[in-house]
Amino acid sequence: MQGLIEQLLNGIAMGSIYALVTLGLALVYGIMRILHVAHAAVYTVGAYAGLYIFHGTGNLFLAFIGAMVLCAIMGIIIERFLYYPLMKYPPFVPLIGSITVLLAIEEVCRLVAGPYIITFPAKLPFPEAHIGGIFISSTLMAVYCITASVLFILWYITTKTSLGLAMRATSQDISMASATGINSHMIVSITFIIGSAIAAIAGILVGIYYNQVYPTMGTVPAYKTLALIVVGGLGSVPGAVVASLLLGIGETILIGYANIPLPRDALAFIAMIGVLMWRSEGIMGSSR
Amino acid sequence: MGKERDNMFLDVKGLSISYGDIRAVQNVNFYMEKGELISIIGANGAGKTTIINSLMGLVPVQSGTIIFKGQDITKMPAHKRARIGIRIVPERSRVFPRLTVYENLLTGMYGMKNKVSPEKSILQLYEIFPILKERKNQLASTLSGGEQQQLAIARALVSEPELLLVDEVSTGLMPKLTQEVFSVLETLNKEHQLTILLVEQNAFVSLEISTRGYVLETGQCVLEGPATFLMDNTRIKEVYLGH
Repeated sequence: MQGLIEQLLNGIAMGSIYALVTLGLALVYGIMRILHVAHAAVYTVGAYAGLYIFHGTGNLFLAFIGAMVLCAIMGIIIERFLYYPLMKYPPFVPLIGSITVLLAIEEVCRLVAGPYIITFPAKLPFPEAHIGGIFISSTLMAVYCITASVLFILWYITTKTSLGLAMRATSQDISMASATGINSHMIVSITFIIGSAIAAIAGILVGIYYNQVYPTMGTVPAYKTLALIVVGGLGSVPGAVVASLLLGIGETILIGYANIPLPRDALAFIAMIGVLMWRSEGIMGSSR
Repeated sequence: MGKERDNMFLDVKGLSISYGDIRAVQNVNFYMEKGELISIIGANGAGKTTIINSLMGLVPVQSGTIIFKGQDITKMPAHKRARIGIRIVPERSRVFPRLTVYENLLTGMYGMKNKVSPEKSILQLYEIFPILKERKNQLASTLSGGEQQQLAIARALVSEPELLLVDEVSTGLMPKLTQEVFSVLETLNKEHQLTILLVEQNAFVSLEISTRGYVLETGQCVLEGPATFLMDNTRIKEVYLGH
């Protein structure tokens, strides 16, 4: 029983990190209808940037801020110089562009940082907890608290502020949003800033959680998060978050604890196929 | 017309618009004076919606100029046009389906908060369209077609615009509701001096409340004149009014 609870706690942490990456993808799909595969490259760069800033300054807070700023800039560059010019073509064109950018950035990481795993020996300043014989490490606590804060802030912005209203209007009808006085191109850029900064947080958390950062750490998440936004309902941020948490828990419980003989990374795609067959609008999606 | 066109409220000269190889609008000229209500009529595919979208900045113009209150806005992005007082009631309403009625009205004020008080303006609109007050916390997608059309009009009016572009407002409305909507537009024009450009297939209702009209055929303006003149024109009667 204790083993199960510990696996569940790990699963929630894993799911939280998936959620942080996936929600950027859901935000971008929601507003631009583009499958932003290169988002995983932003996440990788976030991990490296955090690692280098941490090595240079020893300050983890600075590492987070620096990586978030760098990734936000990277997000805007991808939006302005890759997606915006390609918007007038069919959706597979920006998708191919996006995959290219993912591969290119992975190679740049390999060239700059070297083709090997670098450790990320940072300790997140969060308390540990012992509850009835169950131990929650400070890293797990950090993942929970940071994810919860990010989700709360994002929920607050989208539902309670006029920026959020503009973001929702733009994602529902971009040209009508412009006609109501919303600078929708700026809203698109802001969406990339938010998604990319959150990806940086996810990158650093994964780096610390597994104590490793490497050039292709984004490859599996790139495709897994695609599966997750389909499961969650394309463009639905709450759906993406729920799907991510369920996947994190499912992976650790079904494969880690119950020892079902499947590769761990297959589960997301099995879920995606299931959703496409039986509920193509996703678990939280409405017909749009 | 021989008028001094520098002082014109809206002046459109030599407007041409293409979608790929297809020329949708060809060398169209028209003007509007402040406080006028004019109609552009024509069959489906004549280029009416294209013209109205180009005035809002939603489709790019190939050649020609659009001058609004002495300012060349041909290349101005849509959101800036909205903020200088041009608003659109688009075809099939296009309200934001997953925003509430109230939130839809708020989008109409975006970026205008210093100029207009949102609460006051929205309350005034609830008086004109009481159904919107009843439904203010409902998602726009749950409204009927007629209610969505009223919401689209209210959303365009909430920022107190100077030029209202109305695209095929009668489409999908019951005749009774069409009459109501047109009488609201007429009131806004007569009592509040709102300048309105109507684009309609339903030529008779729209010409009835207009001062002047333009007739569009395959992207070109073939006839223009006072509304009474157009309504008496034999050809118009045959083609558009069904007499």
